[in-house]
Amino acid sequence: MKPETRLALIHIVGPEHVLEAREDLLCYAYDASPIAMDPAHLPCMVLFPANAEEVSRIVGLANDAGFVIYPRGAGSNVSGGSIPDRDAVVMVLSRMNRILEIDQANMTADLEPGVITEQFQTAVEKLGLFYPPDPSSKAFSTMGGNVAECAGGPRGAKYGVTRDYVLALEVVMPTGEIIHTGARTMKSVAGLDLTRLMVGSEGTLGIITRITVRLLALPAAKKTLMAIFPDLEKPSQTVAKIFTAGMVPTTMELLDKTFINAIEDYRQIGLPREAEAILLIEVDGEAESVDRQADRIAEICHQQGATRTQVAKDAAEAEELWIARRSAFASVCRIKPNIIGEDATVPRAAIPQAVREVQAIAARHNLTIGVMGHAGDGNLHPSILADERDADEMRRVELAVEEIFRSFLALRGTLSGEHGIGRMKSRFLHLETGEAGLKVMRSIKRALDPNNILNPTIGLGA
Amino acid sequence: MEWRDLEAEVVRCSRCGACQQVCPIFRELGTEASATRGKIGLIRSAIHGWVSETEGLSERMSLCLACKACTANCPSGVQGDQLVLAARQRLVERRGLPLIKRLALRFFLKHKGIFRVGMKLGPLGQRLVLRRTPKGCLPRLPMGLDKRRLVPELASRSLRERYPEVLEAPMARGRVALFTGCMVNHVYPEIGVAAIEVLLKQGISVVIPPDQHCCGLPAFANGDTDTALELGRATLGVFQKYPVDAVLTLCGSCGGTLKQEYRHWFAPDPELAGRAKALSEKVQDFAQYLDGQGLLGSLGPLKGKVTYHDSCHLARGMGVTKEPRNLIRAIPGLVFQEMEAPARCCGAAGSFSLTHYDLTLKINGRKTEDILNSGADTVVTGCPGCIMQLKDGLHKYESKINVIHFAQLLRQAIMGNPIPPPMP
Repeated sequence: MKPETRLALIHIVGPEHVLEAREDLLCYAYDASPIAMDPAHLPCMVLFPANAEEVSRIVGLANDAGFVIYPRGAGSNVSGGSIPDRDAVVMVLSRMNRILEIDQANMTADLEPGVITEQFQTAVEKLGLFYPPDPSSKAFSTMGGNVAECAGGPRGAKYGVTRDYVLALEVVMPTGEIIHTGARTMKSVAGLDLTRLMVGSEGTLGIITRITVRLLALPAAKKTLMAIFPDLEKPSQTVAKIFTAGMVPTTMELLDKTFINAIEDYRQIGLPREAEAILLIEVDGEAESVDRQADRIAEICHQQGATRTQVAKDAAEAEELWIARRSAFASVCRIKPNIIGEDATVPRAAIPQAVREVQAIAARHNLTIGVMGHAGDGNLHPSILADERDADEMRRVELAVEEIFRSFLALRGTLSGEHGIGRMKSRFLHLETGEAGLKVMRSIKRALDPNNILNPTIGLGA
Repeated sequence: MEWRDLEAEVVRCSRCGACQQVCPIFRELGTEASATRGKIGLIRSAIHGWVSETEGLSERMSLCLACKACTANCPSGVQGDQLVLAARQRLVERRGLPLIKRLALRFFLKHKGIFRVGMKLGPLGQRLVLRRTPKGCLPRLPMGLDKRRLVPELASRSLRERYPEVLEAPMARGRVALFTGCMVNHVYPEIGVAAIEVLLKQGISVVIPPDQHCCGLPAFANGDTDTALELGRATLGVFQKYPVDAVLTLCGSCGGTLKQEYRHWFAPDPELAGRAKALSEKVQDFAQYLDGQGLLGSLGPLKGKVTYHDSCHLARGMGVTKEPRNLIRAIPGLVFQEMEAPARCCGAAGSFSLTHYDLTLKINGRKTEDILNSGADTVVTGCPGCIMQLKDGLHKYESKINVIHFAQLLRQAIMGNPIPPPMP
């Protein structure tokens, strides 16, 4: 980067909002994905802009001076979507962290991208409102990141994912213009749906600087129950049965023995260590309906071979179960240091077959693969446990990952339910989209970002 | 120590980012290097030689309160605080200590005799450089201490000078040794006096080993492991001489060091490790011991509303959170009101609050607001370091809220007297 470009960038955000020391740059060479830090690919600067205008000026300068930008929230994504390339500028949006408005009458909220998801949820829940998407990282991930990745979470089974709540966005385009997509209304068909194009675009098409979301009324009651199974097959089959019986649980989480024990090691909350698998199920709604739903679901679980079902006795016990569930990924790092958590997803009815395929792949490559996932929406997280210091094991992991992708796609699934393509899955994207589909995506990227400024190495099959 | 020795722990960090949620320093600075994930990234870089042992690396490692919040919250069970302290040790081995810390730790703290003479002369010297206010003292000159910093006066007579070695309780039901700790001994002897009076009244005989000294944590936290180990060895030697039921501490940091840290520090040496284990099994916090023994007799009623601040090392080092609350709730007439996030660090963190005053002010400001929002008129806690910090924070807000150790609260409830003012 030319010295005058550097000075111009420092001038835009102010010197106290710039990091340039090697000790700091190293800390932006990773995210929560298992991609190893590479000291040959350090960014040259980390900038913390304060508003859309500063973001726009930085992006404008990038086009003039020819540097690339990697936008980032909390760096908690697990697909390598915020790992920069050499000499790039990393743009951290955490300073833009205000909730601008909660409109109770229209049940919408406006916020900046750096707001922590859980803090936003707490704020709206105090007013009796509800923002459902609940990625496991919600206590530290940002709303901007959630929108850029189209984050999901356990509640997806009933409430969908981030895209189902975003009404409108303010976006700094890769050429520096600031645009406003969508509308604050529940319906809007004015022009192309640019909001949907931006949600889940992984920072490749624009930098989100303001978000308008719709909110729901906070359900009056909820109930959590746990069903314990003697094998992994029975709960896999139970999932679709519950939905076809007309029940729509908020969440339906499948955890196998590996996860049960790792979580229990982390927080001793009384998960059944002897079980082969459990389903953790939450229902919500009116108080009476919650009891009825829970009873009916327990009945179905028993019919499908559950050895035991058990209802959390109060909100605190339920929350403890969900905190434990959210820690699942990280807690298996107690077994082996690295976890490659996949999130290929299949239609609900294909879960039993998908689980069998994963088990066969694990056996074939002599790997430990824990099975966990948001079974309610088919979003499995087969998690390969490995040690980055063991080169042979890492090679087998790569083979297994590719086989999982191919087998899940054969079951009419998708490469990624909620983690995004990032760097991790970029080279597999064509398996799902086909060459023609990928070509369309790339031409959209080229049209919006002619100089390839934003996240150039991320996402689109590079 | 070599960086590579830390690799087995470092690779267990999945970089999920959960530490950001609880790290008080990340909350203020928002930079990756300030949260544990970033510090572990830097240690990883040092292992592979991607970063040199620079001043910049030392500065980033210094930005940690050792509050253990990340460790307690880490789903992978990574010992974040231990990694940072180990990195400091390595950096001190290679880069040495800054002159002021070298003087403070290796000349002053390490030598009991010099330390005592210094503390004796302290009150005199203090008058020259500190001006008295009704709340405490403020520095007259910058002298490395921020001029806004409210500091207590050193006591003219230390706690240990006020008592004989052995205090027998009539018809004793127990016998304990008291680890006084430097701050209670020299700065807040009234806490020690309160604890001793309560214990005697409760039928517990108290032994105060006269040749005890610093636990070593201030040295260890600054990476001066040699001094820390020397102080630790001395403490093990002093306390193994007394046949007592328990060794009591009045400070979460001293207590955590005696109970937990010594076992890590001395693990490589089987003989010392055995002594550390024996001491560890006897060490209890004052509140933990009394709550376990059960209070005898009736407690006098007290008026007012109190809130409780969890010292990091008492809560996450010693695991003592319920016991002080049980004691507070046992006092009739007193209203107990939890504050928001009672276990969040106040930012004192030993010498951190001296070396990073602006940052400590911000962290303490949040704590102070939580205290004010609780509506309490008294904050009770179990660590003299926190007391000094909380008083400073409340002073900035011109608040009249009192900050006391739970030993002082209990003394008041048992003796029926008001809490005595600080001792000269």
